[in-house]
Amino acid sequence: MDSPPGEKDRIMLNEPMLEVLLEESSDLHADAMRDTRPSVARLEEWRRDVGTSLPTTEQVSAMSTARAEASSSLAKSLAAAGLLTGGIAAVLLGVVASPAAADKPLDIQILQTATSLELLAIAAYEAALGLPFIADGNAVVKKFAETTKSQHMQHREAFAAQTKALGGTPQTEPNAKYLAIVEMEKPKLLTPADVVKLAATLEEVATDTYLKNLSLLTDKDSIELTASIMGVECQHLATLRAVGALLAGGDEGIALIAIPTDVAKLPAAAGSVATPKPFEEPDMASPPAEGAVK
Amino acid sequence: MKNFPITKDNGQQRIPSRRSFFGLVGGAAAVGALAACGDTGGSTNAGASSSTSTTKASGSSGTTASSAGATTTTKAPNGDLDTAMFAASLEVLAVGTYGAALDAAGAGKLGAVPPAVAEFVTKAKADHQAALDKWNGVIKAGGKTAVTEPPKKLKATVDAEFAKVKDVTGAAELALLLEETASATYLKAIPTLKDKAAIELAGGLQVVDAQHVSVLLFVLGRYPVPEVFAGTDKAAAPG
Repeated sequence: MDSPPGEKDRIMLNEPMLEVLLEESSDLHADAMRDTRPSVARLEEWRRDVGTSLPTTEQVSAMSTARAEASSSLAKSLAAAGLLTGGIAAVLLGVVASPAAADKPLDIQILQTATSLELLAIAAYEAALGLPFIADGNAVVKKFAETTKSQHMQHREAFAAQTKALGGTPQTEPNAKYLAIVEMEKPKLLTPADVVKLAATLEEVATDTYLKNLSLLTDKDSIELTASIMGVECQHLATLRAVGALLAGGDEGIALIAIPTDVAKLPAAAGSVATPKPFEEPDMASPPAEGAVK
Repeated sequence: MKNFPITKDNGQQRIPSRRSFFGLVGGAAAVGALAACGDTGGSTNAGASSSTSTTKASGSSGTTASSAGATTTTKAPNGDLDTAMFAASLEVLAVGTYGAALDAAGAGKLGAVPPAVAEFVTKAKADHQAALDKWNGVIKAGGKTAVTEPPKKLKATVDAEFAKVKDVTGAAELALLLEETASATYLKAIPTLKDKAAIELAGGLQVVDAQHVSVLLFVLGRYPVPEVFAGTDKAAAPG
């Protein structure tokens, strides 16, 4: 077990392409700030006028209108630029996302993006199950792929149903950004370890995205649903980390991928490899609008 | 757990004996509505006798340090502080219980301890200590005193269960119940929280506790992801 899956084993990014994307993001960010400035200014004006006294019904209504305008504009622009997870965006969203009313447009985008990640996971596990070394390989790995695919299908249904409940159109396409990565990686999937590494990356993206979304969503049912599903995706991730570590251990490790396993023979690292950090941080989160219906 | 508009049945059997283990979990008042729950004066025996090394300094500094590194902690709303205090008390219980398990293992009271289990207990204890430090950072930033005691009733129940533990399997079962309780409690608390940093912290801890559950299920010879949707039926209530 000399190479457990972890941060260093994530899918490698094309760095030159990343630089181009960052430059584009910077431009989009500047545009977003320019477009949003008037709306934010209106909100700041309202805050000064209202002061610390309770607002009237008319004031609440006006604030909601200004807030919805600013939030929608800001969220769309920043999310498109991939900057919604950044510190500046978080601060700005904190300004505009005060609880005057549920921010349904942003909530819907978040749910659509979540659905896109579930569709991606379904496609990835389906592809994995078509590989001979998975279909005819270790029984536990195959069962995990089948069960996890089924669980993602039910997560997709739940996110789609919640999207409709908020008046939105459910996403029906897998996440385009990560689908491209999966397609790029498919020819390189030559062993179970390759599949496990890719699946772990997708599960970490889903877990981190849902974790980040918990503080962006305004609809309580959507928060509950997202937290519930996050609690399962993170277990997929933990299992894949452990399985990846055992696969890296060669025949001896592979023999331990069994239920029940021989606990006495498990290497010590099996007790900690699944949880490398004391608390998950959303550092691989997808922006809320990344998988929104166009 | 709320009823989401689709089936939740994935064909996996839940284990009835674990549904209402503590007799204190599930169906109680929302965690977010708790009054200050950092019990004081709890007894110190097996469940919390070891290494609850929390600081008890109070203050309202906006910056605190945790075992995971320096972090900036913002002042949380009052309701969030109540939740933070209850969460911290659960973390005290977890740290103490894992510490007691390590002590028992060191004294040879659990028989042969596989290396992976020893590693897990050590890592899980450290994770819960880091969580406790984080919550106490939030609590102190809010002007309250750090929590150093577990929930009294829950601790009594854990102590009673711990007294029955005779081997590694028994210790793993008790750890599983603690982790299921912790992850369910965070899941239940998240929709009640207002502060974004508190929400992300609770969510990040729900994740790691749920992952602890998966490791323990695997060690105990069970499927590591038995549920399609995480539920709140094992969430702890105060007291």
